[in-house]
Amino acid sequence: MANHISSAYDRDLEAIQTLVVKMGGMVESAILLASQSLETRDVDLAEKVRADDKKIDALEMQINEEAARVIALRAPVSKDLRSILTVLRIAASLERIGDYAKNMAKRTSTLVDMPAIAGSDAALRRMAREVSLMLKDMLDAYLRGDAVMAEDVRQRDQEVDQMYNALFREFLTFMMEDPRNITACMHLHFMAKNVERMGDLVTNMAEQVIYQVTGEMPEEARPKGDKTAYLSEL
Amino acid sequence: MKDTNMQNPKISAKNVQVYYGDNHAIKDVNVEIADKTVTAFIGPSGCGKSTFLRCLNRMNDTIDICRVTGEIKIDDEDIYDVKVDPVQLRAKVGMVFQKPNPFPKSIYDNVAYGPKIHGLARNKAELDEIVEKALRKAALWNEAKDRLDSPGTGLSGGQQQRLCIARAIATAPEVLLMDEPCSALDPIATAQVEELIDELRQSYSVVIVTHSMQQAARVSQKTAFFHLGNLVEYDDTTKIFTNPDDPRTESYISGRIG
Repeated sequence: MANHISSAYDRDLEAIQTLVVKMGGMVESAILLASQSLETRDVDLAEKVRADDKKIDALEMQINEEAARVIALRAPVSKDLRSILTVLRIAASLERIGDYAKNMAKRTSTLVDMPAIAGSDAALRRMAREVSLMLKDMLDAYLRGDAVMAEDVRQRDQEVDQMYNALFREFLTFMMEDPRNITACMHLHFMAKNVERMGDLVTNMAEQVIYQVTGEMPEEARPKGDKTAYLSEL
Repeated sequence: MKDTNMQNPKISAKNVQVYYGDNHAIKDVNVEIADKTVTAFIGPSGCGKSTFLRCLNRMNDTIDICRVTGEIKIDDEDIYDVKVDPVQLRAKVGMVFQKPNPFPKSIYDNVAYGPKIHGLARNKAELDEIVEKALRKAALWNEAKDRLDSPGTGLSGGQQQRLCIARAIATAPEVLLMDEPCSALDPIATAQVEELIDELRQSYSVVIVTHSMQQAARVSQKTAFFHLGNLVEYDDTTKIFTNPDDPRTESYISGRIG
């Protein structure tokens, strides 16, 4: 796309894009650090994730203000308008993911005093890693304006959902085996659910990227892999 | 360009070419314009939008070196047919220009002039009624009713432009052509004229040429983008301003170098 006649307009749009990518990077690392702090039972690291969430929130505010300023001063149309709408949506989704990561870190602080549930920490970490990779690719697709790559990210949410289904069953089993596992499993299940929701939010953002690039939301129903709502027994 | 044929268009132009001497100003334009709709023509200076607008009431006839070919029909009647009287045509297809240009006459006479020469009123009472109706439609009545005998040129710029709109609609036209009607007006007067255009849409087919993208987006339902004498894209205004098909349209409306 050619540059605007007003180069200040281009600079404004680029500056906002830079903020979004910066925010994305912070959220990506929040996901990884939250799951790492669980696996290594590192309370200090969990504390850092909780503290850093304030920076993420502040960045969202800044992005919202910049976007409002561009709308007020430049009256963007067409692709420019879609890019501003996309910025607002992505920033809101990133902020939510940041909250989920913070919530995971809180639960980590509680879980350190409880017996570990075999294998679940590592499984959660794998799931978090997959979501952070999806987020990274989504941000790349956003930067490059690559709708094909965004569609690929969108499809990958199924894998996260499957990991969540598996963990759900696992936690149920542990709880049935020994009621003393219930507290830990409840916390771990919330963490798994948090990561699953993160995957959904990344999928939303990927759809937003497709909208920015093509002007249309993807029509095809998005793949749904979370079947736990229909699960009445193991 | 995608097919934009519509049912019962008010104006239908086919293969229209306009030449100013050797200069090919309009290149094979095909377009159908709906009744009771505001259609905006946008495009950079010299793209042919005003030239094409002026074809619709044969204003280009007054330019010696200008040659128009192709077919333009209003209500299925070829307006370039030898039997068509351009003066009658212009009563049916009114026009408002960029700069308010009231006659150096009273406000009343400005509006009464058209109906008088076209014999639309049988007596003074009927003429009074036409003048009042036109001034009311142009949202000027309340400001002008106590000074109908004072000169039209004494009004403010925005009022003068509304007077010109009243003058154009006094002959009961079916189509109203507006060539940058707000470019000489302040934001308040512009808003008033835009509000008026939206009301006029109920009775007329309005075609407006504008350099203000925002104005085109605000007042029109259909937008046509002209570039270098070609009609590049013609579609619903919402579509043009949210997701146009042609990259040239995108470049122009978003303020990029085309």
